[in-house]
Amino acid sequence: MSVQVAKSQNPDPNGAADELLKSLSGSKPVMILFFASSVYNPDKISAAMKNAFPDATVMGSSTAGEIISGHMLKQSIVAMALDADVLKAVHADTIPLDSPKSIDTALNNLSGGFGSSPISLDPSKYVGIILFDGMSGAEERMMERIGDLTNIKVVGGSAGDDLAFSSTHIYLDGKAYSNTALLAILEPAAEFEILKTQSFCSLGRKLTPTKVDTESRKVLEFDGKPAVAAYAEALRVPSHEIASQFMKYPVGLMADGEPFVRSPQRVDGDAINFYCQVRQGVDLEILSSTDIVADTKSLIDDTNKKRPLAGIINFHCILRTLQLEQEGKTEEYGRIFSAIPTIGFSTYGEEYIGHINQTATMLVFYK
Amino acid sequence: MAGKIKKLIDTLIEKRAQGNPSIASTTRTKLLLKGIDGKKYDEQSTDDPVVIASIMKIAEEMGISLKV
Repeated sequence: MSVQVAKSQNPDPNGAADELLKSLSGSKPVMILFFASSVYNPDKISAAMKNAFPDATVMGSSTAGEIISGHMLKQSIVAMALDADVLKAVHADTIPLDSPKSIDTALNNLSGGFGSSPISLDPSKYVGIILFDGMSGAEERMMERIGDLTNIKVVGGSAGDDLAFSSTHIYLDGKAYSNTALLAILEPAAEFEILKTQSFCSLGRKLTPTKVDTESRKVLEFDGKPAVAAYAEALRVPSHEIASQFMKYPVGLMADGEPFVRSPQRVDGDAINFYCQVRQGVDLEILSSTDIVADTKSLIDDTNKKRPLAGIINFHCILRTLQLEQEGKTEEYGRIFSAIPTIGFSTYGEEYIGHINQTATMLVFYK
Repeated sequence: MAGKIKKLIDTLIEKRAQGNPSIASTTRTKLLLKGIDGKKYDEQSTDDPVVIASIMKIAEEMGISLKV
């Protein structure tokens, strides 16, 4: 079968991998992608998964919650098996994040596996998946460099650790890595597309960062005023209330009318720390949250009507998961994907062209 | 002097996309994420040397040759 998904809540890594192997027994996968709760020992779960699927490229990450067709889960492992009728080939490598040139080398090697250079890879035939150590803070630098080197689209997420914010892990072929990214270039046999959805509308109010510390993801001033005061003025609330408004009212960098969401993390004196970098002088629009379930359901239903979907890989922001939990809508969200083989995880950041927040980025395969 | 920034941005996108509209759109977004908002510049925009230097640096990183 083309795309199969399975889950296990067996706390023993070998037991969980065995369960997944049994559930996916009809598959001859080219690639196994898995997302595992941080309750699993990183070295043991990566080794167990490779032992279970020795003939496939086996890759994945730790999570802050898992997604599978019909359900949002905790303390589980989810896996997707992609057979040759969906995926012709995959080349994957790990990239140490403390070595600036390593991305160039890795991308050259991965492209070489397809007999091409990074810039010559045809974006209609190839697509990238990237997984980051979610505690590294290296996403923007790496995504920008990848974008410099190639025209293929790269989608992915930053690994989680169930909100401990202590250590996150990337998995490739039996080993576990920290302070590392994993980049895979896929040559799908079927048509594919990247979907990006965020549930916000613009309030039509702008903030322009006029003083930033880009590397530390901090905005010191908007429009020449202290960041906290300017954000509060734009939201029309007292300064001491803005932190409680951040999740509902983040800001967006608008590209062709589509926001690339930048989410404030916390107030730091008069400054605001964000979950991703904000550039000086580039206008941001204040956003207001809308209905995640309705927006996502509409996107998936419309996409599936256009052409039936064979599978979905969903990189889903942890802040969206927290909002769904607050609203009691996690089961409703999971049901959106009931009829389509889907796996995903709650991420510490989403990747598509760059690093973004409060978004779901998805790689979808068509039948 | 005015208009150089728009010209540089347009040339960079044209050279990168080579007629592919999808790559042109993605390249515009890549520039935006790097801090260059193409919508802000037209033929009358002042030739800000800081912005010009930023575009030249981005072009170099992308392996694209631009002349001011």
